[in-house]
Amino acid sequence: MAQSETATAGVDATQGGGSTRAETVVYVYGVVPGDVAENAAAKGVGDPPSRVALVRSGKVAALVGEIPADAPLGTPEDLTAHARVLDSAVTEVPVMPLRFGAVVTTIDAVEQELLAPNADAFAGLLRDLEGRAQFILRGRYVEDAMLRELMKEDAQIEELREQIRGKPEDATRDARIALGERIGQAVQVKRDADTHAVARALDTLGFPVVTGEATHEWDAVNVACLVELSREDELRQAASRFAEKQEGRINLRLLGPMAAYDFVPAPQNAG
Amino acid sequence: MTMQSSSAAGGALDRPNAGTLADVIDTILDKGLVIDAFVRVSLVGIELLTIDARIVVASVDTYLRFAEAVNRLDLEATGQHKGLPDLVEGMEEGGAKKKTKGAIEAAGDKLGDMIGGDEDEEESEDEEDEPQPARRRRR
Repeated sequence: MAQSETATAGVDATQGGGSTRAETVVYVYGVVPGDVAENAAAKGVGDPPSRVALVRSGKVAALVGEIPADAPLGTPEDLTAHARVLDSAVTEVPVMPLRFGAVVTTIDAVEQELLAPNADAFAGLLRDLEGRAQFILRGRYVEDAMLRELMKEDAQIEELREQIRGKPEDATRDARIALGERIGQAVQVKRDADTHAVARALDTLGFPVVTGEATHEWDAVNVACLVELSREDELRQAASRFAEKQEGRINLRLLGPMAAYDFVPAPQNAG
Repeated sequence: MTMQSSSAAGGALDRPNAGTLADVIDTILDKGLVIDAFVRVSLVGIELLTIDARIVVASVDTYLRFAEAVNRLDLEATGQHKGLPDLVEGMEEGGAKKKTKGAIEAAGDKLGDMIGGDEDEEESEDEEDEPQPARRRRR
């Protein structure tokens, strides 16, 4: 197998527990088909960015990089590198992403413990992803437009505003929380409805859909879908139609193509 | 038409070349195959920096922000009664379109602050000429 120069440097292969000390460890980005070619210029996680390499085992391969064993991961650069390595491959080959932070001891371990025993399962997953990629539709409510929409629909909001108007802040805390909560609940109702509308539109086109949770208070829509790359135009047109119908109440963005982060099998609890 | 309220030139849908850091975090965090399910012996527990840019959508802080936002609409409504010179000045700046854009940018700034600055934009630029790490072999 492809043996990297630093792969085995000082690795003590003792098992069990975090006592293993090595100068470098191996970061695993994801799994791809075995018939892909390596591009040595790609930049991976770590500072300075690590080299991205391929470890092959028959019909499957892993995108990996050697990183120092003692450097923590999770800087903005690490996160974007993880996504970039996986996403930039996705228009050419099916990519099965591993969760951020997957690290094993050596290149050999990737081949012998991750790939070889799971080759058939991985190959099956990759076959399902062949020619497809994930896209995400993300919408954010335009604050003023949404507030005016809610005020028009809910007279209670105006009543609560009247209670607060002109009074000192510390005297109106409860009223302000009540007002905000009412708005928050109304936004949630809007969010559910708009998310449902987007998910339905994508489902109508036959694209598998996963809806994500809101991560920002003005989030409107967070929907991932798995799309044949040959049908990307259809997706874009459907997204544009939805966006135009919003008349400025939602800023909608289409992200992708990216690796199928939301369409990997649920973690199995193997003992 | 519906286009006026969108800041994007190509229509109401924004199609960024690369997502922001916030997008990346939302997209990849807690997503993907869990390596523990496949690898036990050679698994390395590496220190992961705490990443939590998500805000709790249903919280008192959020409610107070909502209340502040809806009460601010009052001020703006009052502000519309100001004198002609102010109005003219406002129009020169681009009127309603400008205002919409301001709101969007403000939202972006807020998010940027939360997760640590403008790094994401530099990253996005990097990505465009990034070589692909893997490419299908010609057969």
